[in-house]
Amino acid sequence: MSATVSTPTGIMPSSRDWEKKVDDVRPSKSDMNTIVMNYLIIGGYPSAAMKFAQEAGLQSQIDLTSIEKRNQICTSIHHGDIKTAIECINDFEPELLEMHPRLHFALLRLQLIELIRRSMADNDIEPALTFAQDYLAPRAPQYPEFLKDLEHTMALLCFPPDQLSPPLAKLLDPDMRKQVATMVNQTILESQEVFSEAKIKSLVKLRAWVEAKAAQSESDRLRSIPHMDLGLVSPKGEFPEPNK
Amino acid sequence: MASGSSYHTVAASGTSTVVPRPQGSSWASIVSGQPSRPRIPSSTSTGLRTQRNGSYANLSEIGSQSGRYYNTALSNAFNTQSKLSRLPVSLPSYLEDSLYAEKLDAVRDSSWGSSIPSRTPSYTSVGLHAAQSRGTGLKLDVKDTVPSPDDDLPTPLPTKWNENDRSGGIEVSQDGLDVQFPATGPSKVNEYDSASVRADYFIPRSCGVYYYEVAIMNKSREGLISIGFCGADVQLNRLPGWEPNSWGYHGDDGKSFCCSGMGKAYGPQFNSKDVIGCGINFRTHTAFFTRNGQMLGTAFRDIPNDKKLFPAVGMKKPGEHIRVNFGQEEFSFDIDGYMKAERKSALQEISDSQVESLCPPLDEAALIQSLISSYLQHDGFVETAKAFAQDLQAEQNALSDNGKSKPVELMEDENAIHRQNIRTAILDGDIDKALELTHKYYPDVLTKNEQINFRIRCRKFIEMMRQSAEASNGRKKDPVSKRRAFDAYEDEDVDMDGGDNRSDMDLDEPTPVTGPAVPDLDMLGRVLDYGRQLQEDFKDKPDLQEEMEQVFSLFAYSDPMTSPMAHLLSEDGRGPVAEALNSAILVSLGKSSKAPLERLVQQTTVLLRELGEEGGPASFVNLHHWIHNLEFLPSS
Repeated sequence: MSATVSTPTGIMPSSRDWEKKVDDVRPSKSDMNTIVMNYLIIGGYPSAAMKFAQEAGLQSQIDLTSIEKRNQICTSIHHGDIKTAIECINDFEPELLEMHPRLHFALLRLQLIELIRRSMADNDIEPALTFAQDYLAPRAPQYPEFLKDLEHTMALLCFPPDQLSPPLAKLLDPDMRKQVATMVNQTILESQEVFSEAKIKSLVKLRAWVEAKAAQSESDRLRSIPHMDLGLVSPKGEFPEPNK
Repeated sequence: MASGSSYHTVAASGTSTVVPRPQGSSWASIVSGQPSRPRIPSSTSTGLRTQRNGSYANLSEIGSQSGRYYNTALSNAFNTQSKLSRLPVSLPSYLEDSLYAEKLDAVRDSSWGSSIPSRTPSYTSVGLHAAQSRGTGLKLDVKDTVPSPDDDLPTPLPTKWNENDRSGGIEVSQDGLDVQFPATGPSKVNEYDSASVRADYFIPRSCGVYYYEVAIMNKSREGLISIGFCGADVQLNRLPGWEPNSWGYHGDDGKSFCCSGMGKAYGPQFNSKDVIGCGINFRTHTAFFTRNGQMLGTAFRDIPNDKKLFPAVGMKKPGEHIRVNFGQEEFSFDIDGYMKAERKSALQEISDSQVESLCPPLDEAALIQSLISSYLQHDGFVETAKAFAQDLQAEQNALSDNGKSKPVELMEDENAIHRQNIRTAILDGDIDKALELTHKYYPDVLTKNEQINFRIRCRKFIEMMRQSAEASNGRKKDPVSKRRAFDAYEDEDVDMDGGDNRSDMDLDEPTPVTGPAVPDLDMLGRVLDYGRQLQEDFKDKPDLQEEMEQVFSLFAYSDPMTSPMAHLLSEDGRGPVAEALNSAILVSLGKSSKAPLERLVQQTTVLLRELGEEGGPASFVNLHHWIHNLEFLPSS
């Protein structure tokens, strides 16, 4: 006879058993603090990182200059001030844009989008056109996708702002700035040989993956694992804060 | 045929006691006859971090060898018979980032100290069962010892050939590493019989990949040696590969045998001094072999994942002799490199997973921000929490045009919110709401804490008194005194934003009065009823009587607010009650009062361990290592 490893005979663990198993795991405080610090550094939250280094006693681990610079660059991008962002990048990592033509193009295109946004308000498409001709058109032949992106972006000029198709409207969404800022942040981290994905991001993916994997498993035991709650609730939930 | 070393002479003479190799001579030198190479202890390609001497390390060794893993209290608690002592002291380097390694570390962690002793008596080893059938070449009725569902202890790794789980025709050396077919066999049972031996422990799937090597010390003319793995119940008078539930690579014809007498052309034949490696991949359910450090490719597919598999070797002709390396020596194949590539594929699958379903409606970014912010608040990093909230708000403001920014919306720690709502209710004088919330979320707290139950009920009585007095006086309450009560408790760890909300609200309007204005007598009547009930409920508690009488004395005054007992009615009394209840709730939560981020780590650990038992991609994740190392998931 041979027994199976994955599905031992006997009673399945109850919800309470699983809860106990979870409670029995004791993540160390230093593990937890490492995860948080790593996130604050990689995400580029300078004041939080500084305070956390003080409060958790992790001073030695942080390079504040990098966090502040990256934060400054990302903030400029978030504001739509791409010109300043590019200047900052060149100041901080002079070779970065040259070595990452795709990133450079993404920034220039975002700058074009911002110019188009302004031209819609001012009813003057001249600056946007000049910028596209001077900076983007010469780079477009480098990669086929550049050309496509440029054409796509220029199409913004052809439609009134309230009649844009969803893919075009997406270009004007603030999310576009966020995406480019994230790209810049990651590229800078990688150029500084820092692993660019925050540990907590991997951890959250891992948590989602294990749950999905257990649910799909052939093993009854694994499938019987109940959904485990993280204990996060919306502060505006069942018992709302008294309104002002 | 013998290489001329004294070791081989002894071995070839048919004695089962093999002289231990002199310390310092390397595996490679034994096999190749070359002078030994110096070991490179810190290199990633070395077989082991710590030298193991072939026998199980006892706990005194464990205690002295690595302070990082073991605590003395734990080692004192056990003798060498315990299951813990069977666990490897050190791991081959290729397993260091495996789930198996993480589990091993976890048992050594001091927090396990209390739970292990109660489990050990129930443990019975495979070795003990096998001992009952010692020396037979017949089918062993080995009872598998499946870890009970509650038993989270990892199983040991194979460390040597099991003297008690072999066929009669072959001999196992004293250190358990050499196996040979005596040139002048004592009793060759049957010419057609072969002789096999299994390792002492089955292979834990949480390794992800398991690998061992066998050096052909000496072979007969035919070279009928089989290297592979099989289940616990497979007959040992047959070569690995020939029986159901048995897989092997045969040296006489270079064929691979998969549970069948019919082999398939696979690799070269064995020569003396060859090093043959055998690897099982529990993620892809395949097995491969290597020869002298070279990969020979996939030999078997669809290896079932519900069978316990043991390393196994078999031989058929006199003079044949092999020696195994279960990881106590450097491997000749770059298993570390193989493992690294495997880990990458496994982790790719994980990094492609979507997180939106974890905590709807939060997307990945908002979920992470909620986890971080609730952790900071839960663990009292007050300044960091404020700074983080400001950083997030700044990001939000930058993104939204023309400065019309909406506030950052994050989810918060459930317990923190509940406790905060309860405290706010008490501070507002809304004792009914506080009671309702407490009963709803922490039903045990009030039944288990009579003192606190009593104080809250008293407070309720006092609040009723206040309302009654206020109604009859038509008096407005004094916002300043109320403000004071809040300030005193504002520095608590729970929430920063909430503090502001409270103050705003408090300055704007008086405490909400439950129900519309009612005639004085009616109200006083209800206060009386409540007081009687209170007395009824706590009349058996002598230590509470004095306090109760004090409170009831408020009835004696026509205007309690100006009475000598007026201090009892002060709003300042709400704070201590709120604090006492908050503490009681925290105590009742005990260790389960964990920040969501911590729960996430705990849950992931448990689920990974469960999942990794099957040997899938989960067995390639060592969470603890990952937190302290840079590399984890491949960047996209």
